[in-house]
Amino acid sequence: MIEFDRRRALISAAGLAVGGMTTARLLPEEMLLRDRRLARSKVAIISAVMYSEGLVDSLTRALSTFGLNLRHKSVLLKPNYVEYIASVEVNTNPVLVGAAAEAFRNLGARSVIVAEGPGHQRDTYLVLAESGLEAQLCRQKLTFVDLNRDELIKVAIRANYTGLDHLWLPRTVLTSDFVVSMPKIKTHHWAGVTLSMKNMFGIVPGSRYGWPKNLLHWKGIHRSILDICATAPVHFVIADGVIAMEGNGPLHGTHRHLGKIVLADDPVAADFTCARLMGLDPYRVWHIARAAQFLGNGSHDRIDLIAEGLPLRTKPFDVLPEFASLQMRV
Amino acid sequence: MESSGAKARLHGVLRALQAEHRGQSAEGGQQSIEAACFAILALRNDPLADLKLALHDIEDLQNKDGSWPAFIGDDAEGCWTTSLAVLSLMAVGQETERLNSAIRWLLNAEGREANWLWRWRFRAIDHSVQFDPTKYGWSWVGGTTSWAIPTAFSVIALRQVRNRGINLKAVVSERIELGVSMLFDRMCPGGGWNAGNGIAFGVKCDAYIDATAIALLALAGHENEPYVQISLTWLMNRLPGCPSPYSLAWGILALASYRNVSSEVNETMDRACIELTALIENATGTRDKCTLAVCALAFEAAEGRNIFEVRA
Repeated sequence: MIEFDRRRALISAAGLAVGGMTTARLLPEEMLLRDRRLARSKVAIISAVMYSEGLVDSLTRALSTFGLNLRHKSVLLKPNYVEYIASVEVNTNPVLVGAAAEAFRNLGARSVIVAEGPGHQRDTYLVLAESGLEAQLCRQKLTFVDLNRDELIKVAIRANYTGLDHLWLPRTVLTSDFVVSMPKIKTHHWAGVTLSMKNMFGIVPGSRYGWPKNLLHWKGIHRSILDICATAPVHFVIADGVIAMEGNGPLHGTHRHLGKIVLADDPVAADFTCARLMGLDPYRVWHIARAAQFLGNGSHDRIDLIAEGLPLRTKPFDVLPEFASLQMRV
Repeated sequence: MESSGAKARLHGVLRALQAEHRGQSAEGGQQSIEAACFAILALRNDPLADLKLALHDIEDLQNKDGSWPAFIGDDAEGCWTTSLAVLSLMAVGQETERLNSAIRWLLNAEGREANWLWRWRFRAIDHSVQFDPTKYGWSWVGGTTSWAIPTAFSVIALRQVRNRGINLKAVVSERIELGVSMLFDRMCPGGGWNAGNGIAFGVKCDAYIDATAIALLALAGHENEPYVQISLTWLMNRLPGCPSPYSLAWGILALASYRNVSSEVNETMDRACIELTALIENATGTRDKCTLAVCALAFEAAEGRNIFEVRA
């Protein structure tokens, strides 16, 4: 007969608990997170040789292939405005931002606003004015919200990459029905690439985390991107690759005329596709590879390319030497 | 509209905002400590402004350790706004224990590179940004490195503390000198300051108007230093035609502090005041309380009363 030994049972239970916790800590974070991937993601690559008024029609046509229902919905466009550098295409082109706003209005959106929190420059208006976005906002009668100084809401982080338990995020982003990340397709001297997920760093408020958003940099840029994107909504992507940037991005690289705009209903699928367009291996970009495990789709068999296909051959974007391993062989 | 008219108009808008949006920002969100402090500074001599409630709000938000958070409802962690609260309390004559505890917090706060381990890391491993980690100042939030603007505001606050005789301990002068050396170290190669990375990833970075102006305010009295001269020249070249009232106003505040250096400084400042008046007349870029307050302070500085003056 087995005698019940309370002491031994307690020790065993404690051992199991400690073992379980240790195992959990050793597992990659994405294995512990709820799988939020769509069954399939749609990505549209469209060609655009220049920034022109014609982009409104191109975007409206491309957006309508996604079957989006935007009636009565508030749309927030989150472009990528870090700072203005004369004659360098650092930011999402204002013409594309204006065209996207008009296209979403054409599709019946209740409201369209533009929102951004520049990472380096505290004078947001100066960035808008010098980059030409302010003129575009006036022309289109678009409201702009400075996410560095918006009202903030404390939000529990829905992943565990940085070790932070919460973030203060702008109310405008959290309460919008449809958030569109609009990155400039660029290389990045720290994260490898800056695409739709990295672009969401801009929603982190400078008023709380500083300029640059240094606390999160210290927690690891890839890890921060994952925590931000797991916590804040990104419903759609329109990535600006008409004139992209290679080399020492995101500020001091050189122009690369890619001539493409990438639309997607999944930020991970968008970044996966953009990386391929750049001739870079998305699986070697830490945050894209991790995000593809739980946040969105990062494999060809789960992505439907609904417009143009990926080119058969791409000359890889120039990168800094430490990112040479990202380049795919031609 | 002349600059005095523009200043009166700004005061009127700020008073209305104080009354209507107590506890809120101009946009209706939470009040940020930064905006509240600049509004207090701008309205401190306005006989029509009632600052009691605004001051009460600020004092109420002080953390137990003497610091201030970033905004109403924020986590109780001290941050860079403490230097602005110190400036505000001194400006309205609130020289109480609250002020002393805030000064103590400022004296103890330091960028992450002050720690030997991080200093070693920056020297031995991490060379992405070129700087001397032995020269440190203040960070935006705890647990991060020193940056130009928080350091400049802390230096301004401590220099005023020393000038007023509120705290004459050696540590005050030591922290000021360390902060000044940090600012010199982080200057951009072409003059002026940006967030605090003069050279990053092998590239010489450009300066920003507001960061340069705030750093120059902190460095007033050091005009014989080549670093200051080159930065002042950079600012005078960059300021004309600036489309943003916020940066233009900071530029005026800095030039007002160096107006005796040369007639060119004075002329550039006068032209900038005309440009700022025109922008305010057209309501260009004056969407938030912070900008309104800094513009009012700029006009006041051009008239000869600079709230950020640090010369004894």
